[in-house]
Amino acid sequence: MKHLPFRKIRAASRLLSSACLCGVLTAGTAWADGHLSGDITMIKGPHSADEAKFEAMIIDDFKSVEPNVDVTFTTYDWANMNAELTTGFASGNPADVLYLVDLIYPAYAQQGALHDMTGLVDSADWADERAEIPEFAWALAEQDGGTWGVPVLGAVYNIYINKDLLAEAGVLDTWDDSYAAMMDAAKKTTGDGVHGFSVRTRTGDFAFWDWLPYVHNAGADLLNDDWSGCGLAGAEAATQFLIDMHAAGVTPQIGALSTQEQFDLFKAGKIAIYHGETPQIGALIADPPSFEWDVAYAPPGEVGQTVMGNFGILSMAEASGNKDAAWEFIKHWASGPQVGRFAEQVNLQVVRGDIVDGMFAENPAMQKIQQEFVPRVQGIQPHPQILKILQSIWPVAESAYRGDLNGEETIAQMCEIIDGIVQ
Amino acid sequence: MLSTTEHRKLRLKARIRQNLTAYAFLAPALIFFVLFLAWPVVALLIQSFQTGGIMSPAKYVGLENWRQTFTDPLVVKSIRNTVVYSLMAIPAVFIIAMILALSLNTVRFGQNTFKTIIYYPTLQPILLAALMFTFVLHQDFGILNIILRAITGEPVNFLGNRNLALPTIAMVEVWKGAGFWTLLFLAGIQSLPRDLYHAAELDGAGPGRRFFQLTLPLLKPTFFFSFIFATIVNLQIFDSVFVLTDGGPVNATVTTTWYIYRSLFTFNEPGYGATLSFVLVILVLALTAVQTILFRERR
Repeated sequence: MKHLPFRKIRAASRLLSSACLCGVLTAGTAWADGHLSGDITMIKGPHSADEAKFEAMIIDDFKSVEPNVDVTFTTYDWANMNAELTTGFASGNPADVLYLVDLIYPAYAQQGALHDMTGLVDSADWADERAEIPEFAWALAEQDGGTWGVPVLGAVYNIYINKDLLAEAGVLDTWDDSYAAMMDAAKKTTGDGVHGFSVRTRTGDFAFWDWLPYVHNAGADLLNDDWSGCGLAGAEAATQFLIDMHAAGVTPQIGALSTQEQFDLFKAGKIAIYHGETPQIGALIADPPSFEWDVAYAPPGEVGQTVMGNFGILSMAEASGNKDAAWEFIKHWASGPQVGRFAEQVNLQVVRGDIVDGMFAENPAMQKIQQEFVPRVQGIQPHPQILKILQSIWPVAESAYRGDLNGEETIAQMCEIIDGIVQ
Repeated sequence: MLSTTEHRKLRLKARIRQNLTAYAFLAPALIFFVLFLAWPVVALLIQSFQTGGIMSPAKYVGLENWRQTFTDPLVVKSIRNTVVYSLMAIPAVFIIAMILALSLNTVRFGQNTFKTIIYYPTLQPILLAALMFTFVLHQDFGILNIILRAITGEPVNFLGNRNLALPTIAMVEVWKGAGFWTLLFLAGIQSLPRDLYHAAELDGAGPGRRFFQLTLPLLKPTFFFSFIFATIVNLQIFDSVFVLTDGGPVNATVTTTWYIYRSLFTFNEPGYGATLSFVLVILVLALTAVQTILFRERR
């Protein structure tokens, strides 16, 4: 048996001890040899039935950069997102990375459940990436002097039109000139099982998204400028217009159909002007209806012509045990190639300026949304109580759509509720 | 011979041993009761004077949550809806269950098969029941609406109509619960003494008289338990409201438990949710006490 030279044994043992020492020193941190390690969890509401598949693509790409970080992806149900997220936070072991919409993140930030990411997003080595996200999007992620996430996606609430029905009624080119023209088009296309117009009416369907652009077009908003009280003054006529639409008998019977059922009716050619959201474009492309359709937005109001949209940010839980890996994953998810591919897969909008031009090359409807609609977007005011405000005032609107209240009474009652919550 | 003092000592020892044995037997249930019932109720009461406490530290706010409870119109509406729902659902399910139990009692062949069929809806998760009722109630393709349209020419917007939504939820719950109450009443009927019925028959009492003068009075203990139990269960109605209407339309189906859920989880207001929960506890206790007194007086 040949003996190993003593020098080689000594060198090997030194190497082994160095490796062991290095392992011991880095065991408690996420860093090992310039790479991260450990497990993190991401939670997000699904934007597609294939959400898990699309997320797996992002995670696989991340693994090629950070092989020692294991990312577990899980989803929450949009309708119960608060219940599920609150339970997670209350457990003390929430997901490390959370996709949160502007409707709910301010409440979590206010209660200290989210990590203030100001230092991370302002770091010099991420400055170029940060610059690609416009300031209006950053403003939505900022509250009380902190930055609570990286803005990644936007969802536009648009109108779908059945061009054949509008053309038959002779209003294809005029229907969106004004509210009066829209009413005229709705009346002319209604009949024989066809509804000229539809908006969401149920709280559970987030019906307020369809009402808000009309409010914004009138120069009003839920809260006043300093968020100290109701800001809906001025939205009376716009609300009255939607009440009149229901009274005119051009909509499906109020409360009878969910937004999905309304969309099914639109696909069947039974609704001329349908208020929906952009992910439905995918369904229309996958299973094309028998008529020509297009995307549109509401006619101009007294003050402007806006489009409703809400935004999603990638946040980090304050309780996360692996913030380094979580931040690295957030940067990866928010990077141009990743967020761009995901947005194309689920038909959502991106907020990054550098990837907009090349996106949705084979999807003209989405291209139109991204380039023409997104610049018009006016989102919600991310007040910590915004969800409570919207869900509390909506029954008043529902009541008004049923003919119980006029525009002025509706806004007055809503303002009473909003002031009660905010003040 | 033992002295009086020694006698007393021995008696005391025996009594202590007896009591300790009793407490030892009671301990598992007592621990369970304190941990999962008494303590949560106390914790709930404490939380009703606080704000936060789930994601942020709890802060004492005195009577603020209670003050809000008494001025919140939705609380009044939720209590009213809950009571109205219970007043619809409990008598309806009892009447249907009693009819089914009396009918089943006369079945001599295949009674177990009928029992299984009748009990089957009780086993259904509410999600499945809701989906099934969508196919029954839907305005366009629901079987009930297809029939109604054929008869009256107009479909009925069951869950979207403010006046019909709560009775519709009650109908779903009656459908789900009838099997349980049928078997309970059937067990009660079958345990009644047969000789009394034979005697009544010999005296010429018809089926109606036998039912009203024998069955109903003899089933009083069963009814007592049933009313208390049904009241407690129905005042906590949540799942069918959550799945079918989510409190709508126009808050027409907002119930107390639904509002507690919304305060706790949607609006992140654990203190207010705790206060509402305590209001529900008081409501359940009050109605249970009223029923107990009524039944005791009539017994």
